[in-house]
Amino acid sequence: MSRDTTANSGRTADGTAARRAENRAENTAEDTAERLHVAGLHAPTDAVLSVRDLSVRFNTENGVLHAVRGVDFELLPGKTLGIVGESGSGKSVTALAIMGLLPSTAEITGSVRLLGTELLGLSDKAMCKHRGNEIAMVFQDPLSSLTPVYTVGSQIIEALTVHNPTMSKQAKEARAVELLALVGIPSPRDRLKAFPHEFSGGMRQRVLTAMAIANNPRVLIADEPTTALDVTIQAQVLEVLHTAQEETGAALVMITHDLGVVAGMADDIMVMYAGKPVETGTVDDIYYTPRMPYTMGLLGAVPRVDAAEKISLIPIEGIPPNLIRTPTGCSFAPRCPLASDACLAAEPALRPVRASEKHGDEAHRAACIKTELLETEADVHEIFSAPSVPVSRFDAIPRHERKPVLELKDVKKHFPLQKGALIKRRIGTVRAVDGLSFDIREGECFSIVGESGCGKTTTLLEIMEFRPDQDGEVIIGGLSNKAAADGKARGAMRKELQMVFQDPTGALDPRFTVYEVLSEPLENLGLARPAIRKRIMELMELVGLPPVHVNRFPNQLSGGQRQRVGIARALAVNPKLVVLDEPVSALDVSVQAGVINLLDQLRAELGLSYLLVAHDLSVVRHISNRVAVMYLGKIVEIGDVDSVFDNPRHPYTRALLSAIPVPDPRLERTRERIILKGELPSPLDAPVGCNFASRCPVFAALPPAKQEKCLTVEPALEPAGAPRDQQFACFYPDGELDAELLVVHETS
Amino acid sequence: MLRYLTKRAITYVVMIFLTTSAGYLLAVSTLQPALLEQERIPRPTPEQVANSFRLKGLDPALSPWERYVDWLTGVLTRWDWGRSPDGAYINAEFGDRVLISTRLFLASIILTLIIGVALGVYTAARQYKAPDRVITSYSYLMYIVPAPIAYFLVQLGAISINETVGERIFFVTGTSTPGLEGDGWAQFGDMLAHYAVPTFAITIVGWGAYQIAQRQYLLDNVNADFVRTARAKGLTRNQAISRHALRVSFIPVAQSIAFTIPAIFAGGFFAEKIFAWHGIGSWSIDSIAQQDVNAATATLAYGSLIFAIGAILADLATALVDPRVRVQ
Amino acid sequence: MTNLNSIDPAAIVEEAKIENDDLVIAKSRIILRRFLRNKTAVAGLVIFAALTLFSFFGGYLSSWDKDTIDPFNIGTAPSPEHLLGTSQAGIDLYALTVEGARISILIGLVVGLVSVLIAAVYGCTMAYFGGKVDKVMLFILEALIMMPALLVVAVATSGGGNGLRNDLPSWLLLILVLLLFSWMGTARLIRSLSMSLMQRDFVKAARYMGVPARRIVWRHLVPNIGSLLVLDITRGVTGAILAEVAFSFIGIGIKVPDVSLGVLIGQATSQVSTFPWMFWVPLVVMFLLTGSLAMMNDGLRDAFDPSSGSVGSAKTNSVKKKNR
Repeated sequence: MSRDTTANSGRTADGTAARRAENRAENTAEDTAERLHVAGLHAPTDAVLSVRDLSVRFNTENGVLHAVRGVDFELLPGKTLGIVGESGSGKSVTALAIMGLLPSTAEITGSVRLLGTELLGLSDKAMCKHRGNEIAMVFQDPLSSLTPVYTVGSQIIEALTVHNPTMSKQAKEARAVELLALVGIPSPRDRLKAFPHEFSGGMRQRVLTAMAIANNPRVLIADEPTTALDVTIQAQVLEVLHTAQEETGAALVMITHDLGVVAGMADDIMVMYAGKPVETGTVDDIYYTPRMPYTMGLLGAVPRVDAAEKISLIPIEGIPPNLIRTPTGCSFAPRCPLASDACLAAEPALRPVRASEKHGDEAHRAACIKTELLETEADVHEIFSAPSVPVSRFDAIPRHERKPVLELKDVKKHFPLQKGALIKRRIGTVRAVDGLSFDIREGECFSIVGESGCGKTTTLLEIMEFRPDQDGEVIIGGLSNKAAADGKARGAMRKELQMVFQDPTGALDPRFTVYEVLSEPLENLGLARPAIRKRIMELMELVGLPPVHVNRFPNQLSGGQRQRVGIARALAVNPKLVVLDEPVSALDVSVQAGVINLLDQLRAELGLSYLLVAHDLSVVRHISNRVAVMYLGKIVEIGDVDSVFDNPRHPYTRALLSAIPVPDPRLERTRERIILKGELPSPLDAPVGCNFASRCPVFAALPPAKQEKCLTVEPALEPAGAPRDQQFACFYPDGELDAELLVVHETS
Repeated sequence: MLRYLTKRAITYVVMIFLTTSAGYLLAVSTLQPALLEQERIPRPTPEQVANSFRLKGLDPALSPWERYVDWLTGVLTRWDWGRSPDGAYINAEFGDRVLISTRLFLASIILTLIIGVALGVYTAARQYKAPDRVITSYSYLMYIVPAPIAYFLVQLGAISINETVGERIFFVTGTSTPGLEGDGWAQFGDMLAHYAVPTFAITIVGWGAYQIAQRQYLLDNVNADFVRTARAKGLTRNQAISRHALRVSFIPVAQSIAFTIPAIFAGGFFAEKIFAWHGIGSWSIDSIAQQDVNAATATLAYGSLIFAIGAILADLATALVDPRVRVQ
Repeated sequence: MTNLNSIDPAAIVEEAKIENDDLVIAKSRIILRRFLRNKTAVAGLVIFAALTLFSFFGGYLSSWDKDTIDPFNIGTAPSPEHLLGTSQAGIDLYALTVEGARISILIGLVVGLVSVLIAAVYGCTMAYFGGKVDKVMLFILEALIMMPALLVVAVATSGGGNGLRNDLPSWLLLILVLLLFSWMGTARLIRSLSMSLMQRDFVKAARYMGVPARRIVWRHLVPNIGSLLVLDITRGVTGAILAEVAFSFIGIGIKVPDVSLGVLIGQATSQVSTFPWMFWVPLVVMFLLTGSLAMMNDGLRDAFDPSSGSVGSAKTNSVKKKNR
């Protein structure tokens, strides 16, 4: 069943060199247009997957939607291609077209050759011989991608049965166990009988991966495989994909919007925009010498977790074009700061970037007529006129001299866990938030980070609830929750504190216009109509929305615009503190940059304080002044964001930081990564000693004598050293890490 | 699961008790059998009537609450549901009636479910093609036809078939031909001839709702992510749908069984009335016409019980097809 | 994204003229436009409106009324004198049908509207208070669902002399009983919908702004279940008309001397082969009524459903309009 991996990888190395040479020869010999014309007729034989001029059109009610327009690529065995783009850029449609999984209404043209066989035009039945066998796919949403009514085992075995009808039942079961073990599912034999709902999201993503590699495919397509997952789990899943690729020698197509995720994994990158590849090349070409303004913008839009120096992010103005109209000029021109009339004349073809001395060969192609202009190491911040870093008037004042706007003193939230049908018994306590104390001063941004389930959201809810019967004290702008028995005191607190929600769509009533949304808090204050109107216009300007948009309904706005409305609503009553619950996680990268810049600017201009909850540590590093790392309801490390991120002391912080992918291929390749074992344990099983001991890489390497302390004594927050603003809760902050939990990828 | 079912069963017992009690009190305070007795010839004196009723435990002189307590004591201690104004024992008649109703509906319920679900799957597979349009339009038509009128039309149709053929093929009323002689086959044929029309009528009226529901649920699941996963494994579209989408689409259908059984019971009363099968349903109406408090209450209790059984069956059916429920 | 510097002062002036309230109307106009685009639905609306008008004013078109017996025409087929023939009692069938349709429509409209109202109040109350209140109210609701409506209809409308029954016409009694048993399903639906709305971020946002609970229910909850309510009204009207016909058909609903479509159909069954018009005329009217309602319901569902196919063009229209 399993192929000889050593032989495979040997062939891969030879094949790569051969292809490089051949490719170069071919490219110089042929003109681009001509090459596209003869596409598919003579693909290099050693490519496992060769896609030529792939186009996909859908007939919709509003007209023909050109979802994919001319995608070309070639995939060699064992290599990884990253397809990068924002939502709607056509990357997923490309993948589904290759797999033959698009609805029959889609019009697909071009050529897709798998191991020399043309796949386009095959009937569903004929296609089934290849799907799941030579070419397999891992889907984006692990929660809905497994059939809820069948066991995980039967679903994996099904994948084996389809392509190996003669395989015995025992052999299939043994293989399923082997696969589950390979993707890192503990006690795989027992888990075969489990149903999907008994698995967490990360576990289900592993099962999907196991299913995809069941028949040792030659090509594996992963469509945003880690988007819905926590960073620690993301690192685990990426590791699983890496292992799977090594085991099977498959070529991997990795589709993502996250430039960090592919930086360390991919050999080649294809950037897609409006259904077209706009830049292709090796990973180093794309990351270090991008030649297309869109790529440059994307790279500049991503905040970096490893950068201490604060520079503004690059927002790409505007929205992607409507693909119902075929663009007459460059589809990026309306958003491009370099656009000129020539750009609108004709859509530029993808052509080789003139080779500079240092990097890049002819494989680096870009679809831009100004490629030469960009050659001389142009400053992307200048091109996109990124705003300067705003400075708050509070930044100059030392922190201890500023007034606190929010104080939490030993706040706890314990849920009783009950069992029993008629008579409820208390079988335990979920310590969602367990003794949290911190304060936020004027003008600062304080962030809470941690995996989902660590209690970040519960903390926010506790602050927003603000009732006297809460366990612990919450003081907002000098008002204590203990004294907030009546509606009046709470009303006063609501003026100090407002919230911005994660999902901008859900946070706006679909039946309200922007005007109504913004007037609600103002009406509640009892403002007169003219005053409300004036304030709304101020707010629209403040968050950078055109005033005419007040007439729109939320569904007529883009995601970023909706989030701006959410921010405007929070600012309506002039609060001192704004609680931001994952404010940018639902937005595309380029839009996200605009919203982050806006938040930064508002903090400086209005002297706001933020309490930010985010799972993206890069965003946190970019925007925060101080940060708290939470694990199972407790703060394990807190302090100045640069101190904590540059010199993390708690092993959990170290693991979290190491799990964040950085959009820097060279760095990614040599970075040491701590892969935490398992997932966040249920808060119910919180142990006596250190909460983190069960997953701790330091603990695992400790001699048993020292381990004893971790298991019996709960570590308290200790200052890390006098000058620094940093505290952590660990007995062995300088302990050795367990070697088994460390991974370094030396790709290419 | 067992614990959950027990809990549900207890809730339903309480509910049955409450609905039955409410029904009894309503009936006892509005139904006045004494008035009917006045119409007899020779007309009995009020004393005679009162006396006769007192003997049957229907003393009109007592307050509704006192009669309720008496009745409840009888039911709980002796399982005695009382007597009718004509002296018949409710317990004795009840069994026969239930048997007739069950015979009439069991086949129809099973046929309704099977045909409805099968047609739903069939039409979903042929969405917007001619068979789908015809069948689905028919099902929507059934939404706007009152059940008794549909039964009546079927009856008319059967009669006209009989007239065209010139022979009595179908019996449009009754459960069997009284005094029919002959061997087993003759009895069986007679039974079929009596069953055919009512069963046919109840089934064709009933399956529409199931066809629409099953079609909708299946269509909802045809493009689900897990179907795509199954196809990515190498299953053809049809295989993926029949192995994965179908099973998932059964879940809501299984849940709706709870509402079929009582609905058929309610609709069944129309059928019993029109096809002259003397089951529970027609008894409930007749008993009200006869001002028979005890019989009316007994049928009400039976109706509630059927509903409870339906609800618990639905829980079981759901647990059978949906593992997510099973674990709780 | 939008450029901070590109704010047009002219646009602000123009904006100042736009009354916020107009926009809400614009929304209902979109729904109306979507509804009107659906030919079937419009046809349904026209038929239903025509029948309603006919039932109220149709009586004036004929010289006969529902109480006058024509001793020369007893059980006659349609003729120039009696457009739809006469009943066995010699009463003009046209007059009877008008009267019957009116009672049926009245029952349908009253039961449909009021039961949705009860359901909305009951369901929202359950969702809003939650906890123990919700549990008790849910129990009552399920107990009512369990009670076979039929028996209560029968008890309430048939037999014996009861003060209530003597004072009320049988159609009013039937309305009351149908009302009692028609709102539970909708109430349960509204409860679950409201509960999920309460969890939505925009409701949380309003709460965190300190908006009072009553205002949240009124401004956020009710409009968001509005489309469901409208759909349930048409469904409820259909259901009530059907129930009336079914009950009267077998003789436990409306009682003679009151007339309704169900009564007319029911009375005619025994002689359907001899006097077919007596059966078919009211039956056809009933089909027109329920059928037109079903057609309307279909159109309304499409108009309200944001995911329905006809939305696309409506939305682009409105966007264009707004952009102007």
